[in-house]
Amino acid sequence: MSDRTAPWLAIARYDAAGRARGSLVLTGLLSAFLLLFLAFFPSLATADADLDAYVEAFPPAIREAFGIIAISSIEGFLAVEFYQFAWLLLVGLYLAYLAGGTIAGDVASGRMDLTLSAPVARRDVAIGRFLGLVPLVVLLNVALPVVAYVGVLAVGEAIAVERLLAVHALAVPYHLTCVGLGLAVSTLVSRPGVAQRVALGALFALFMFESLVASTEFSAAADLSPTAHYDPSAVLVLGEYDLAGAAILTAAAAVLVALAVVRFRFADLSG
Amino acid sequence: MPAIECRGLSKYYGDVRGIEDVSFTVEDGEVFGFLGPNGAGKTTAIRTLLGFLSPTNGGATLLGHDATDPVDSRRARERIGYLPGDPGLDRDRTAGAFLDHQAALRGESSRDRLVERFGLDESRRVGDLSRGNRQKVALVAAFMHDPELLLLDEPTSGLDPLLQEEFASLVRERVDDGASVLLSSHVLGEVAALCDRVGVLREGHLVAVESVSELRSRGGKQVRVRVAEDIDRDDFERRGIMNLRVGETVSFTWTGEYDALIDLLSEYTVRDLDVVDAPLEEAFMTFYDGDVPGPIGGGERRGSRETSGSESAERPTAESGGDTR
Repeated sequence: MSDRTAPWLAIARYDAAGRARGSLVLTGLLSAFLLLFLAFFPSLATADADLDAYVEAFPPAIREAFGIIAISSIEGFLAVEFYQFAWLLLVGLYLAYLAGGTIAGDVASGRMDLTLSAPVARRDVAIGRFLGLVPLVVLLNVALPVVAYVGVLAVGEAIAVERLLAVHALAVPYHLTCVGLGLAVSTLVSRPGVAQRVALGALFALFMFESLVASTEFSAAADLSPTAHYDPSAVLVLGEYDLAGAAILTAAAAVLVALAVVRFRFADLSG
Repeated sequence: MPAIECRGLSKYYGDVRGIEDVSFTVEDGEVFGFLGPNGAGKTTAIRTLLGFLSPTNGGATLLGHDATDPVDSRRARERIGYLPGDPGLDRDRTAGAFLDHQAALRGESSRDRLVERFGLDESRRVGDLSRGNRQKVALVAAFMHDPELLLLDEPTSGLDPLLQEEFASLVRERVDDGASVLLSSHVLGEVAALCDRVGVLREGHLVAVESVSELRSRGGKQVRVRVAEDIDRDDFERRGIMNLRVGETVSFTWTGEYDALIDLLSEYTVRDLDVVDAPLEEAFMTFYDGDVPGPIGGGERRGSRETSGSESAERPTAESGGDTR
């Protein structure tokens, strides 16, 4: 039956189509969130307080956790108030949470039985479910730089377009790693609700771990966390693009998907 | 080549037994029924055959392909239709979107015909459909690629009688076109109406495989008799009599020969006599209820089959009313 779509593609398409509305809503909410913060910037910039001196006084771990370099410039402000929080943490956690529910959810609901009663390899299911979340990642990272750029102009500021594009381009491998983490957890934990919380909790724990050890002698261990390889502040404020980090994240995403494939291939579907 | 060949298939969930040493064959073009109460292992057996669970021991082939080999079994699944007892459908997608997806995975040569036949509205969200209509969606998905082998797990649960009838004729049509079927149910009537042979599952073991007509004959005759005299229960506690109930009327299942029954009753003044084919339930219960006295050996059972086996398919009713003497 060569005229049929490849199973992994059919599964990815079906999954992505099911998420279409949710993806648009999420994009809208995050855009509104971004614009809300941007609206605060003019009053902050004209305030008398020396904000950079203020954040300088934060403990190193806090500065590390929130990637605080400087917040008085529009780039620094966006990095701290939006990208470090919403893009690194919020979207990352949410993607891990969504992916955590994929395979485990299908198995528990019995949907997986129907899928696998068709001539579909389990590998195709794992890969298809991963790819099903890619459109959301792409949509977020294509729509938000436009919203951010327009928003910055609207508040009468200017921002380096190149850095804005880079902060989103480099977010893609990071977000895919979050999806991969969730997918892998989804094949390891059978109850979907638990898998979702484990995926979310694992990413958050890695983020905390990275923040805490970064300023200690064990700072090399911080590299274990995906959050260590995506630094919006460095991109936006300093114009430093961590391409090695992006490569590491891409590899990590591939390894996590491969782990999910191997684990799922031999798993009993006992929902 | 048999449609299904199952050899010593066992599945344990840790220490918990799902099925143990299950062996049977579904011949090409045959309708084979799994009969057993909930928890007997019917679903475990079917899900192990489909590769959702890896067997602890044993193996199976589906349409000649190794069911336990992920690559080989995929070739079999090209030609398999599966209907789970409680199909997992996406509640927030429309029936049409779900079937589109299933069609992309397995093909849809008969989809339009089936959708029309079952009067399914594809534009509605699955979550808004009644249980029966959701089952229709799963039915269409199971049949729409004209599968050569159907695995149907409790297929009519949730279907109204009219739809059950429609389902039964759909299965028969597929069988007429050469398909083979494995069907599980705890409803005896359903199995009896559709299946050629029945495998009785009990606590994970396949305890018997019988043809439906054999199972009927094994049930013997249901006898209800009212006599003028007082009855001594001991007179009826004898070989060939099961499920004895003594009251105003005496009722029992007779598995012996007619002459012996007539001899027994000739000692009484019979006021009313009713002899019918025992319901299949009775035959079924002999596999399940250890307390049922089974005083006859295999030889006499075979004798009883000779007397009733040929008629059993039509379930005839032999009646004689009033005083016989």
